Amino acid sequence: MATQPATLHLDISNAHFRMDSEQVRKARDAHWYARTDWGIAVLRYEDSSALLKSPLLTQGSAKWPAQHGVVEGHFDEWWQKTLLVLEGDEHNRIRRLVNPAFSPRRIAPLHAKFQALADGLVDEWIDDGRTEFASQFAAPYATRILCVMLGIDENDWKKIHELASTIGLGLGITIQENIARIDQAVVELTEYAESLVRSRRESPNGDILSTLVETRDEDAGKLSDEELINLIILLIFAGIDTTRNQLALSVEAFSKQPDQWEKLASEPERYSAAAVEEALRVDPIGRWISREAAETFQYKERTIEKGTTLHLFTMTSATDPAAFDNPDRIDLDAERSPHFAFGGGLHHCLGHFVARADIAVALSTLATRLTDLRVEEDAEWLPDSGNTGAVSLPITFTSRS
Amino acid sequence: MKITVDEVKCQNHGLCAISAPDHFELDADGKLTYQETFDEENLDAIEDAIDSCPLQAIVMDRDAA
Repeated sequence: MATQPATLHLDISNAHFRMDSEQVRKARDAHWYARTDWGIAVLRYEDSSALLKSPLLTQGSAKWPAQHGVVEGHFDEWWQKTLLVLEGDEHNRIRRLVNPAFSPRRIAPLHAKFQALADGLVDEWIDDGRTEFASQFAAPYATRILCVMLGIDENDWKKIHELASTIGLGLGITIQENIARIDQAVVELTEYAESLVRSRRESPNGDILSTLVETRDEDAGKLSDEELINLIILLIFAGIDTTRNQLALSVEAFSKQPDQWEKLASEPERYSAAAVEEALRVDPIGRWISREAAETFQYKERTIEKGTTLHLFTMTSATDPAAFDNPDRIDLDAERSPHFAFGGGLHHCLGHFVARADIAVALSTLATRLTDLRVEEDAEWLPDSGNTGAVSLPITFTSRS
Repeated sequence: MKITVDEVKCQNHGLCAISAPDHFELDADGKLTYQETFDEENLDAIEDAIDSCPLQAIVMDRDAA
């Protein structure tokens, strides 16, 4: 029997760990996976694609709060019923009911609103030649889009952003020390969501939330109020910081490739979709997709024991030279295989069409209005693990007008 | 009425099989299999499957026999 090449160990919890590093590239060259302190890291495109959709793997995050000392309370009760962690028939029934509300044809009418929002935010600082992009564009843009979709008063966006950030702490390793405020944020958002559902039941207005309130299905029943409220909190939890951080990462990625930024600016209609896909491919906010083996199985030469955690490295698989030419470069004209920045299988991101559409509008608006884009040296980044992004992203630019 | 799945685009995520389980299925290897023809009464489920496909790989031909 041929000797298998050795797997390497990646210290993914170390503050200095970088996805975009020689160490990770070497590990990917050596083997399809690397060992980590939290299970295995899947590195190559072919293997990520196969394992992501494998029915032998579940999402595996239900245990997260308990693993970090939180076994009860409002956050835990909400978390255990979210689409993120549900599996099987219950997951499939709810997913089936909510999918159509997030389809391209439901989202298309929102494009004009996205455009007005993007232009309005750029207007606020374009004459200054500089801005702090994360707080002056990415956060209000991402949050106000969610407000539009759910029919929340846009003037409340700062409050919603703050509640979303607080619940987001539930995914951090400091969950236990923050649990009182996280629980309180869930209570506040629950009250918010209840009033939204009540108002749509009384007077539906054709928006996405009205669609969800009216959702009925002969075989699968309908969404209960509890399920709807859980979903609204999930959308706020999963839809704001992700988009905010992906916008910052995308702008940073394009600032390193001014030729592609200019190409996007010259033909935004033609290139905006490719710009989103390339930014998600080379710099995704979700650095890995987690899965857990539901049973022991054999994959290639390795036996994967039941309960093993797998981290499918998104940037690493989507810059695998075996699947992509000139993989680390954004190329708006290249034909690329699909990346896995939105996960995959039955847990594929629910809001990806919204995210794709609003990031496309944002990037094409920014490119057509700003040139000489530079990220300043004092940008602050979150750790390069789990979900990453910019704490602050000071940029300078020249206005095209 | 008839559906076609673009097999180059399809990534076998399986969301169509949640929306319209009578017409779409992932086989034991996780690969999509589907029935090309369907009746009017299944139109809603098929439309949901089309809407839900992350790759937008399903195309419907209403006029096909």
